[in-house]
Amino acid sequence: MNFVGKSMGFGRVLRISLIYAALIGLGALFSFPVIWMVSSSLHTLPEVFAQPYQWIPDALQWQNYARAVTILPVPRFLWNTIVITAPVMVATVLSSALVAYGFARFRFPGRDMLFSLCLATMMLPGQVTMIPLYIMFAKLGWVDTYLPLIVPALFGSPFYIFLLRQFFMAIPRDSEEAALIDGASRLRIWWSIILPQARPALATVLIFTFIGTWNDFFGPLLYINSPEKATLTLGLNLMKTQVLGSGVVEWNVLMAASLLVLLPNVILFFLAQKHFIKGISMGASK
Amino acid sequence: MFYSLYLSFTASSLLSPPQWIGVENYRRMFADPIFYRSLGNTAYYALLGVPLGMILSLGLALLLDAKVRGQQVFRTLFFLPSVTNTVALSLLWLWLLNPEFGLINTALEAIGIEGPLWLQSEAWSKPALVLMSLWTVGGQVVICLAALQGVPQELTEAASLDGAGPVKRFFAITLPMISPALLFNLIMGLVGALQVFTQAFVMTGGVQPGSEGGPNQSTLFIVLYIYKKAFQEYDMGYASALAWALFVIITLCTWLAWKFSKSRVHYEGGSA
Amino acid sequence: MRKIGLLILSLLMAGCGGRPGDDRTIVYNCAANTDEIAALKPATEKFFARSGIRVKLNPFSGEQKLYAMIAAGQAPDVFYTNNAVRDRLAAEGRLLDLRPFVENDPLWKKLRPEVRTAALSVDGGIYSLGNWTHTNGVYYNRAAFAEAGLAVPSTDWTWEDLRSAAQTLTRDENGDGKPERYGIFIPAHFIEALEQMNHAPVDHDQLFLNLSPEAKEVYAKYLELIEAGIMPDIRRVQALGMQASQMLESGRVAMLVEAVPHPGLIETLTIDWAVAPLPRFGKKEPRYFRSSSGGLSLSASVENPQDAWRTLAWLISEAEPYQPSPVLAGVPFVTAWEEKYPQIEGRGFRAVWELSEQHPGGDPRYFVRFASWSMGPVMTRFQPWLDRLWSGDATIDEVVAAVPEINSGVEQDLERQVKSTAMEPVWREQLRKALAESKTP
Repeated sequence: MNFVGKSMGFGRVLRISLIYAALIGLGALFSFPVIWMVSSSLHTLPEVFAQPYQWIPDALQWQNYARAVTILPVPRFLWNTIVITAPVMVATVLSSALVAYGFARFRFPGRDMLFSLCLATMMLPGQVTMIPLYIMFAKLGWVDTYLPLIVPALFGSPFYIFLLRQFFMAIPRDSEEAALIDGASRLRIWWSIILPQARPALATVLIFTFIGTWNDFFGPLLYINSPEKATLTLGLNLMKTQVLGSGVVEWNVLMAASLLVLLPNVILFFLAQKHFIKGISMGASK
Repeated sequence: MFYSLYLSFTASSLLSPPQWIGVENYRRMFADPIFYRSLGNTAYYALLGVPLGMILSLGLALLLDAKVRGQQVFRTLFFLPSVTNTVALSLLWLWLLNPEFGLINTALEAIGIEGPLWLQSEAWSKPALVLMSLWTVGGQVVICLAALQGVPQELTEAASLDGAGPVKRFFAITLPMISPALLFNLIMGLVGALQVFTQAFVMTGGVQPGSEGGPNQSTLFIVLYIYKKAFQEYDMGYASALAWALFVIITLCTWLAWKFSKSRVHYEGGSA
Repeated sequence: MRKIGLLILSLLMAGCGGRPGDDRTIVYNCAANTDEIAALKPATEKFFARSGIRVKLNPFSGEQKLYAMIAAGQAPDVFYTNNAVRDRLAAEGRLLDLRPFVENDPLWKKLRPEVRTAALSVDGGIYSLGNWTHTNGVYYNRAAFAEAGLAVPSTDWTWEDLRSAAQTLTRDENGDGKPERYGIFIPAHFIEALEQMNHAPVDHDQLFLNLSPEAKEVYAKYLELIEAGIMPDIRRVQALGMQASQMLESGRVAMLVEAVPHPGLIETLTIDWAVAPLPRFGKKEPRYFRSSSGGLSLSASVENPQDAWRTLAWLISEAEPYQPSPVLAGVPFVTAWEEKYPQIEGRGFRAVWELSEQHPGGDPRYFVRFASWSMGPVMTRFQPWLDRLWSGDATIDEVVAAVPEINSGVEQDLERQVKSTAMEPVWREQLRKALAESKTP
């Protein structure tokens, strides 16, 4: 999608305006949930369900945010979430990249078989593997700790192994072969040749891992028992559980809290994508 | 994983020692009309959702790859639904798809079409869920985009100098160069679609036993059925058999996609 | 990388600590939200000061998690079960039989009769005690009645009265056939209560689906409300994404059948509301009833059963925030509720509750028609037919015609269960007997 010709004049302007029109139109469509969340977080509860919906309420209910913060001990849950997310990100990226490199570059008997097996673990629905896994972690005494949420990341994730393998296979072998002839070890090549070239892919994996872990609801729900060990996403659920059918969900406050939880995702994505574009231009200039 | 294979040959609730019953669970499965119904629902969802998701994500990625100002912001916007909390998203969709007041039907009405009942309609509940899933293609877009960024500019520039138009450049250079990423998206899309669960569970779940799975079980996907068997009826043996049936189906689909791609996916580093 | 991993691991281990070690801790799986936890916390402190038992709250629950915890042998000591789950777990020996405790505790005698009935399982054991009970009523918008010049419902009103009031209260100003306000909404799961009022026969041990003429009559009347356009199509209501209380509050409906008491309604309604009993059918005697749909159970693996029992007894009879408890008989329940919620005074709450005490008819359990064993199998097959019925895609006759097919599927499921070695022998024998009896009409 480059335009090399400089004499396109009108055609070029038209093209760029079309691109902008599409970007703005679709962008509005895709940012809709967040706009709606912001809007509904500033309504009173009856207004959230008023028909027709009034996008900007007569009085902005900023106190919903205050209430969200009093209900959710944000600093504590934030810390808990970081304690889980940070090691998971590091472990997932490194271990997945290492395994993926193996699958992308080494020829050994049974490799394809092993790769298939690795992929196969994704194909069995979690519903049936969950209980045996829980029993195993319970036997290890890891329930109500963060270990069941972190340790599996050390073994990489089939999803990212597959993703990175696809990217590694697209990297030309020339510089690698040169380094091999120079006597560099495979691990060294992986670290200093492959990883820098795969920066966009690694950034992708990092972002996905971050979002996946940050927003993971089911894992913490299963393994965390103590309220003070909750993550932000799990904590959100504390706002809507119902006892005896009496619970009235405060959707407006829930939306306010959800936005607070969402914010780091957006910021990180915004920053990281800038980074992986830089990574590209560096890779391209070799 | 293998434990669940073993369980599929047993009558088990996992609370008591499993009782070996051989292929009984599988025999029961082949005679179970609800299994076929859930299979049909899942196939419908995957056949509709996966191609649409692939096309949409590629289109969006191309758009986001265009060299215009403000792309960081646009990329972030397109990714927003993918990072938004499921509960918030589902509430929003319930509201959007509301047959009487929802934005979608109001818009349809404006152009003179009477909108369907969406989630409450047997015919439209699956398309509604596909529509929802299209909104969260952000992940696939990012993967496409990362691949597009990896296409060396020299190549496209060279082709352009050779007089190749944008369409030709796209099919001759860009598409082959990003084909590994597309294969990845295809396979992950398949795996995801065949295991669709959360949306159906949240959006069309019911308060009474038996009412999960939407109007007339039209959104009872296999994994939802597995969930019901395992956690509501404590029938882990049968649930495991269903899961293994799904496993075989997914593996088969993936294998087909893989075989089909062998000749079409281009790996710059050689196909090893 | 390994080293870093191990370092992080050990740090986490140190930070997280182990399970609560002291012997008098009882773990309670409470599906509570933040407000309820805030109310429960100080209550547990008081309970600790009095009894020496520390109650540890585990608010993160769900059907999958409970199942996983039990399967791993780490069940919480006290947790909520509905009757179907309770009997499943009890049949596999995972729940503590409360009979020995109940025999020596005056609490049992203080419980309302329906709570005691619902507590009994088919093997004669008691595996849970209800922490909630309710009857049903018609909540209505009193202002709307006044505006339409209608007299408010009397305590002996009939279905015809309800229908004509609903007709009058329906408003379709723009005449597009989609009323801005419907006369009434009856959530489908209250149809069973109406069937009771119409004297549909009830058999506690009935394993199979049986649609009596009385039930069919209620179905027809229910559908007629939809066809007449005075009750919203069930799918449209679901599509509104509103909780029933919001429909009444926002004026979308003028009447709503709901549980009494219903704290959610009481706490949130700002309109001028009142509640009336369910309508009678013709000259038939009313059969109001209260139901208790589930309760708290104790795990069979609990270390200190006596402490666990004391905690359970405390939770259902005294602990905030579920007070005043409706499960206790012989306490001035309505007066206590009026003290807690002054807004319910003079709104018919007392009359509805007292009627439910005067007419102990019907089946006290929430799921009227099905024993806990067959409820799951029946509903899996029956619900799609009900969906079709309420959406006009099937007629009552077609549903009736499907009953034998539904029941033969249920029978297969139950026979499979009888064969399962997972079930304790006593339970298997009971189920086998019930199955044999149900099969020979």
